[in-house]
Amino acid sequence: MHRLLNILAQFKEYGVVTLLIIISLVLLSNNDNKQIRAIRSYTVGFIGVVQDVLSVIPNVIELKRENAVLRQLAVNLSDEVNRLRDARLENLRLRATLGLKEQSRFKLVAADVIGKSLHLLRNTMTVNVGERDGIEIDMPIISESGLVGKVIATSPKYAVGQLMLNKDFRASAKVQRSRVDGIIVWDGGDYVKLKNVAKTLETKEGDVVVTSEYSSVFPRDIKIGIITQITEKPGSLFKEITIKPSVDFAALEQVFIILAVQDSERIALEKKVLATY
Amino acid sequence: MLHVVKYIIVLFLLIVIQTQIVRLVSLHGITPDLLIIWIVYIGLKEGQIKATLWGFGIGLATDLVTGNFIGLTALTKTASGFVAGYFYNENKVQLTLSSYRFILIVLIVSLVHNTLYFIIFTRGSEIGLFQAVFTVGLAATLYTAMISLLPMVAFSRKYRR
Repeated sequence: MHRLLNILAQFKEYGVVTLLIIISLVLLSNNDNKQIRAIRSYTVGFIGVVQDVLSVIPNVIELKRENAVLRQLAVNLSDEVNRLRDARLENLRLRATLGLKEQSRFKLVAADVIGKSLHLLRNTMTVNVGERDGIEIDMPIISESGLVGKVIATSPKYAVGQLMLNKDFRASAKVQRSRVDGIIVWDGGDYVKLKNVAKTLETKEGDVVVTSEYSSVFPRDIKIGIITQITEKPGSLFKEITIKPSVDFAALEQVFIILAVQDSERIALEKKVLATY
Repeated sequence: MLHVVKYIIVLFLLIVIQTQIVRLVSLHGITPDLLIIWIVYIGLKEGQIKATLWGFGIGLATDLVTGNFIGLTALTKTASGFVAGYFYNENKVQLTLSSYRFILIVLIVSLVHNTLYFIIFTRGSEIGLFQAVFTVGLAATLYTAMISLLPMVAFSRKYRR
């Protein structure tokens, strides 16, 4: 400290002149004439050059702060990108479903899937529409991609649908190209089978399978899927036809329920005839 | 303390003379700067710090009296006092004041003063710095140095006795 005071005492002349020059400059800067305006302009330019030169020296504290801000920004942007991506997908889905609704020959009720199972023997899903919306048991459920299943239980606000991927599910179907009929069943896995198709009938891989007019539950010509494999086992009269469903059940979020009830007269007649045999 | 009062009285007299009377002896608008001679005298007599402080005080007083460009004369006279103080030698005060060295020091200090003055004064104007320094500045410097001959002679007579 003593040494510091000695040094300061040694250079006191410079200290005095510096202080007085600073005071003079402060007084000068209070003037508002062309000289001072010009000097202010030079000063700003000079400071700009100095700052430009000094900017190449990294400021660790500033960089840390900037880094934190950028990280926060990255998180926010990432979140926004995710939300926009979801919105885009939802938009695409809604456009597709809207298109289906507009083109459909049936009266449809839109529903959101609020629950579903895909890994059981009897897979079902729950939707957020029910009896108050006109939903009844056995009404077909479809999506923009094709057949989903049918309603098996209802409450005022909800309904439970039996998926095509259900052991108890049955649907009359036909090969669209060759008009060959069969029954859709599910034995497990992601694919369904078209049963009761004789070996002599024409089918080939890639054929589209749709619902048949023989069905008393499903309207005709709703897409079910595409034939991916045909197996002919020796000693059997029928082909084993594997179909890849056109609906991606795992990604199913919105469906439509067709407000079509069974033709009770037709069912009654068929039951009566069957009873006589 | 007494000499401070004396300095202040001289200062006010010189400011009045500089602002009101000296213009009567101007040559083509060029006037000598009596305050510079006074600052050099203080510098040679009292040393650098006092000359610097008196330079600032004299300059500020001049700015306040003239009322234009406050701070400019304070700055230039501060620098003048600082430069004048460099020539301070406690053992040679009388010798310096009464010899041609006094005129030379006035010449140097005046040149520094005028150069600094015009560096600021010519900013933002159409007058070039070199033109101002080499015509008005240099002429005023020479005129001031010439006038400093009078106090030098007076000191010479005073200290010879």
